[in-house]
Amino acid sequence: MPSGRDVHDLSRDEFLDQVHSFEFWFHSVEGYLSGLEYGHAQGTIEEAMTAVDRDRLISVLCNYCVGETAALEGASGLIAFAPDRRAKIFLSTQVVDEGRHLEVLLHRMTDLGVADPEQEIRRRASPSLMVFKDRLLQLVASRNWEAAILAQNVILEALEFAVFRRHAETADAVTREVLLGIVKDERRHIGFGENEIGRRLHADPGISESLRRVKGDLDHLVLGTLEETSRSIGITLAEQETLGRMYLESVRRLGLDR
Amino acid sequence: MNDPLEVENDQGAAPRRRFILEDDTGFDEVPKKYRKFYRKWRGVGDSLAANEVICPVCKVVIRSTRELRPGDRVYCMPCMSRLVVTANDDGMLEAIVSY
Repeated sequence: MPSGRDVHDLSRDEFLDQVHSFEFWFHSVEGYLSGLEYGHAQGTIEEAMTAVDRDRLISVLCNYCVGETAALEGASGLIAFAPDRRAKIFLSTQVVDEGRHLEVLLHRMTDLGVADPEQEIRRRASPSLMVFKDRLLQLVASRNWEAAILAQNVILEALEFAVFRRHAETADAVTREVLLGIVKDERRHIGFGENEIGRRLHADPGISESLRRVKGDLDHLVLGTLEETSRSIGITLAEQETLGRMYLESVRRLGLDR
Repeated sequence: MNDPLEVENDQGAAPRRRFILEDDTGFDEVPKKYRKFYRKWRGVGDSLAANEVICPVCKVVIRSTRELRPGDRVYCMPCMSRLVVTANDDGMLEAIVSY
């Protein structure tokens, strides 16, 4: 873009090409990830925490890892049948993001003294989140583009975006930095999901019924996970409703709430 | 950023103010050349200037070099959304997603 030009003067295609590109992704993440080590500054001091708080944090991180693994496997599977070049390239950047998220969260668990994070995840993972992951991967395996994007980039990513942001407010300094870096990536993922579904619904309103069914099937799993995670990080029932608002607003804008 | 630079005629409507955007708003989630077009909402006590509107999808403040008016198209690069500016019942500017 020539200097002096307003970004809002870009044509629709120029804008979409730009934001779906690896070039855009690279220069975006460079702004907030360069200089960090496993998602946090080297100089950030590890805060003392009680054994109970540490154990609770490990359980939460285990579930974050399940969510990120679901998105990593989902996004990578979606590339094969993504309907156009822009979606394929964007999803390839999302795969990189999700892989990084999983890595920094596993590393955080190691920092906290977990000897075998994989085993710990198997032991502590939320049953409802595991079911959600299975359902998501089934949608990907069935090559149901709209349903899989709804499940992954609208439902799962919106939940992660809201929970990670809220958790970062009260987390220890290292965990906070790790989470805030992830949240910055999630902004792209939720936007891709809503806009992709919105374009599909605009082109074929007939798909709305099947998407409502998918939403209905998955809602309780997501809300169950939100409840479990909320208890672990001290979120009240009233706050849970606030956290769910972002997802509900997205669903309302897409007309899938009726 | 609030110095009006020039005015332009807008199909008979009142002239629009123009704005110089500072290069660094502290927003680091898009490539450098686009950062001046976005900033974070600072919460209670923050307010929107005439060239700003909030993205309903990701809640980032979108900024333009021009005063915004209903019907304008703006882009939210952080969440990849195309938006149209509208006025709500109170006359405040809002953005709605244009899929």
